[in-house]
Amino acid sequence: MINSALRLILSGILLIFFQILILNNIQFSGYVNPYVYIMIIMMIPSTTPAWLLLIISFFTGLIIDLFSGSPGMHTGATVLAAFSRPLVLRLIAPRDGYESGSDLSLAVYGLRWFFIYASAIVLIHHTALFFLEVFRFEGFFRTILRILVSSAFTLGFILLLEYYRKGK
Amino acid sequence: MRNLLNFLLKYNNLIVFLILEGIALYLLANGNHYHNSRIVNGVQGITNGINERISNTRSYLSLREINSDLASQNSSLRNTISELAQEQSIDFTDVNDTVTGQQYSYTPARVINNSVNRQKNFFTIDKGTRQGIRPDMAVICGNSAAGMIVGCSENFSVAISMLNLDFKLSARLKSNGYFGSLTWDGKNYRYALLNEIPQHISVNVGDTIETTAYSAIFPEGIPIGTVVEPKKSGSDFYVIKVALFTDFKKLNYVDVIANLRRNERLELENRFK
Repeated sequence: MINSALRLILSGILLIFFQILILNNIQFSGYVNPYVYIMIIMMIPSTTPAWLLLIISFFTGLIIDLFSGSPGMHTGATVLAAFSRPLVLRLIAPRDGYESGSDLSLAVYGLRWFFIYASAIVLIHHTALFFLEVFRFEGFFRTILRILVSSAFTLGFILLLEYYRKGK
Repeated sequence: MRNLLNFLLKYNNLIVFLILEGIALYLLANGNHYHNSRIVNGVQGITNGINERISNTRSYLSLREINSDLASQNSSLRNTISELAQEQSIDFTDVNDTVTGQQYSYTPARVINNSVNRQKNFFTIDKGTRQGIRPDMAVICGNSAAGMIVGCSENFSVAISMLNLDFKLSARLKSNGYFGSLTWDGKNYRYALLNEIPQHISVNVGDTIETTAYSAIFPEGIPIGTVVEPKKSGSDFYVIKVALFTDFKKLNYVDVIANLRRNERLELENRFK
């Protein structure tokens, strides 16, 4: 138990570093801004109480904000994603429910389930984030396009990392 | 108290979410100039809209007062008019005001001789040097340009009509400010021609033509006519057919405009010639 918590924290820190040091520096056409750190919110076990999840997400977003010079943007989006996670989990629950103590991962619940789960969370997060960034509804469809393209890239990264975790 | 605790327990996640999201939005609004100004503008837009509604309603409710105010103002103005009407026909109402500096003074006159059917038309008015009329003063009819004074006797003056082949007036398009010179082609007393407007400018039928202040004769912005037909000639300039506001066939009461600062201006301008 302690061991798995430690591993979770470690992979969270790695993800944040990955985001800050590498992905934040991708300058590719303004449409592609993958935000893979949101995977932290997905990996937290389903037994975690919702308030703890919210607080973790708050500080995750805050750290990302501090390093990308955009106070409040990532924090808001990440807290929203964390708040909607229990709802998403309830909606796409497998027939026999979640095993307590198991990872919410591709290895345990299969590609199809994980893909739906990840795309729901990523879409919620990116929609909130990109609209908070432009903060207006003019150019609505351009923002939608940015959300979709970036979500696709984020999902690609997350699936790669999941397969890596599974292989290990 | 117990109910409150139950409520808090039941919705604890929602409350935590709202608090954290509130903090995030607070950071967003305070940490970013862009978001801050968007929010401030948005809130101001809402309050301005509400204020406008309130003031609209209020002004509607006070219509009765405004009405009686206007009525009393109207009657006092009528009194002033009837007082002035007795002096009016004699002279320029000349105010020697060196502080605010009145630039133009107006005097009314009647047209006593007029023609429209020659190539060089003039009209005569019933005031002359004794009433302060001098050559190179502008003549307007109603609110639109009519001509300018060219010669005065003691009690009469002759003005060159706009319907004269020698008449030239600096005029501009009211919509975009491009100016050219207005002449008459001697054909129809209802139309004049505006030249020297370059062809890259869009000129629409119905655009208003007005005077400029370049001549030191006419005040700026006296309406002349409207565009009827902007024709592209062979050169780089339009020849614009202008329907005149002034109907010279029924020219009767006119106003003569004296530019009180004309000499000062011409003196200064001549120094650089």
